[in-house]
Amino acid sequence: MAKIIGDKLQSLPKYWLFAILFLVTSIPLFHPLSVPTPPDDGSADLYAHLMQVPAGSTILLASDWTNSTRGDSKGQFVAIIKILADRKLKAAIYSTADAQAPRVARDTIAEINAVRVKNGQPPYSQWNDWVSLGFYPSAEGQLSSIATDLRKAFASKTEQNPATGEQQDVFESPVLQKIYKLSDCALSFTITASKTSDLTVERLLHKTPLVLMVTGVMGPQTQNYYYSGQIVGLAIGVKGAYDLETLMAKGLNVPGGIVSTKIPASAPPLSNQTDVQSIGTLFYPPLQFALWLLIIMVVIGNVGMALSKMGAQSK
Amino acid sequence: MEFLAQTDPGFWFGQPETMDLRIKVIGCLVFGFVLLAVLLNVPSRWRKYIVGAITFFAGLFWILQFFWPQPLHRSPTDLPANPKEVVSFWLDDAVPVVSDFTSILTAMLTLLGIFSLLRVHLGRLFKMQKDWAFSLVLAIAFVCQATFSLWDYYDRKANPQITAGHGWHIQNYMSDLLFDGMVQQFEAAMFSMIAFYILSAAYRAFRVRSPEASVLLGAALIVMLSYMGVVTQWDGFVKSMAGSNQFLLNFQLSVIRSWIKDFVQTPSIMGIEFGIGIGTISMGLRLWLSLEKTGNI
Repeated sequence: MAKIIGDKLQSLPKYWLFAILFLVTSIPLFHPLSVPTPPDDGSADLYAHLMQVPAGSTILLASDWTNSTRGDSKGQFVAIIKILADRKLKAAIYSTADAQAPRVARDTIAEINAVRVKNGQPPYSQWNDWVSLGFYPSAEGQLSSIATDLRKAFASKTEQNPATGEQQDVFESPVLQKIYKLSDCALSFTITASKTSDLTVERLLHKTPLVLMVTGVMGPQTQNYYYSGQIVGLAIGVKGAYDLETLMAKGLNVPGGIVSTKIPASAPPLSNQTDVQSIGTLFYPPLQFALWLLIIMVVIGNVGMALSKMGAQSK
Repeated sequence: MEFLAQTDPGFWFGQPETMDLRIKVIGCLVFGFVLLAVLLNVPSRWRKYIVGAITFFAGLFWILQFFWPQPLHRSPTDLPANPKEVVSFWLDDAVPVVSDFTSILTAMLTLLGIFSLLRVHLGRLFKMQKDWAFSLVLAIAFVCQATFSLWDYYDRKANPQITAGHGWHIQNYMSDLLFDGMVQQFEAAMFSMIAFYILSAAYRAFRVRSPEASVLLGAALIVMLSYMGVVTQWDGFVKSMAGSNQFLLNFQLSVIRSWIKDFVQTPSIMGIEFGIGIGTISMGLRLWLSLEKTGNI
């Protein structure tokens, strides 16, 4: 009897598993839940550093993701753009990993702006607040060029100035007009689902403080850069996006906010709390449900194996 | 030596969408094809030396750029004071131009990939070989995506109000449908399917069959649980039970996870990465010095 039950527990049809996974990950999308987990140190450090950047500063933002990893990367990108817009920081966005990435970034900012305008907030506008510096197929070469001479690395790039309606050099825009070298940028962010995280550390280290935002599977190997102090902040996967949204809502080491014993810096919550919690908050509970299911199924498989062995021995 | 290291925007820089740049692009393309034709007609015993020399000098540039002392806080009016600084300044000025070369070469590789893909699939389509229907889908998708995307791009440049969402035409709707409505959603769907296979594989393969597998399973469970809401409840329970007993505080899930990450996972990955780094250097040296004999030149 034990063997029969054990064998059955070990051989559940895979389509049942797929159906259960589909169901359990869909439920939290329709009934939003909150998951009480403390933010990772890397996320808290990232938030603290970004909130300390003086208003009006420019950050260099490598948007090296597409919708294939939107579960992880889109939440991170949206959180960063919302913080930049709230803090009146400017962003120079470029891509070295995927030719689709610049358009994906542009579309995502348009989505954020549609919500901001609906909520009565000013849009995060192209040319005045951010510029798109395009896609460069050779990440190694372009990053070396950025580290050596930022102006030549993006020479001849133009964008439309909405005030004049004409194409102008991006270095005439409010975003880049005071930027001559990489160290003029307050921070360098890389939101990536590929090896450009490694290349960024190799090429841009010591030129400006670096922040990496990577997918969940890249987390363990990227942590080395954070632990060694080579990067000043690290967000990993959808948990990183969730952490940032939590910090944006509550602040870090401030009264009523998130308390971190390892990160001594304090940072207030965002001044405008409208629509602060979005993709990370929405996607993190389904991940929790999927992990619970994974644990349960592994336990069931092992119980089945134990029962089968017991049954075989009793015979 | 000024050839690559031009301090002012010179020959290698062109303003976009100007006749000057178009002439340079066409000229370089013609030059490239001529060079390729010459290379293909060179006797094979010489060809490997030519390719080897080009590889060596291309690699030498980046090695020098990495290892040679770089100028610090250099201003545009600074002049090199000694031979070491001459090389240093030259490398500094040449990097943007050479990195543009690498970008162009990488883009050409994409073109080569497209050419190769189309040659295989159009050949299969015209000969009506097995699975020709898939090749037809690929050809139609390629033509539609390229046509509507380029049309949309030039339309947006001429009419900026399109980007703001006004005055859309067929090319804008089609580009939006093909890129945002299809390609991006297909990518997301393809990657999300991995979750189903991970669950199925974990259920079937993650068994406690040996001490090693038990340790692996235990560590995985602790790390997964520590990322869940359960961590706050368990840690709170341990803190309340431990009181002033520092040893018992070690049984908090977050503390165990930190120990696993800091003392097991990170050092292991560092070791693996170090090994990969040494292997990469070894392979890079073989390629740079043309010691790698695989493949025909």
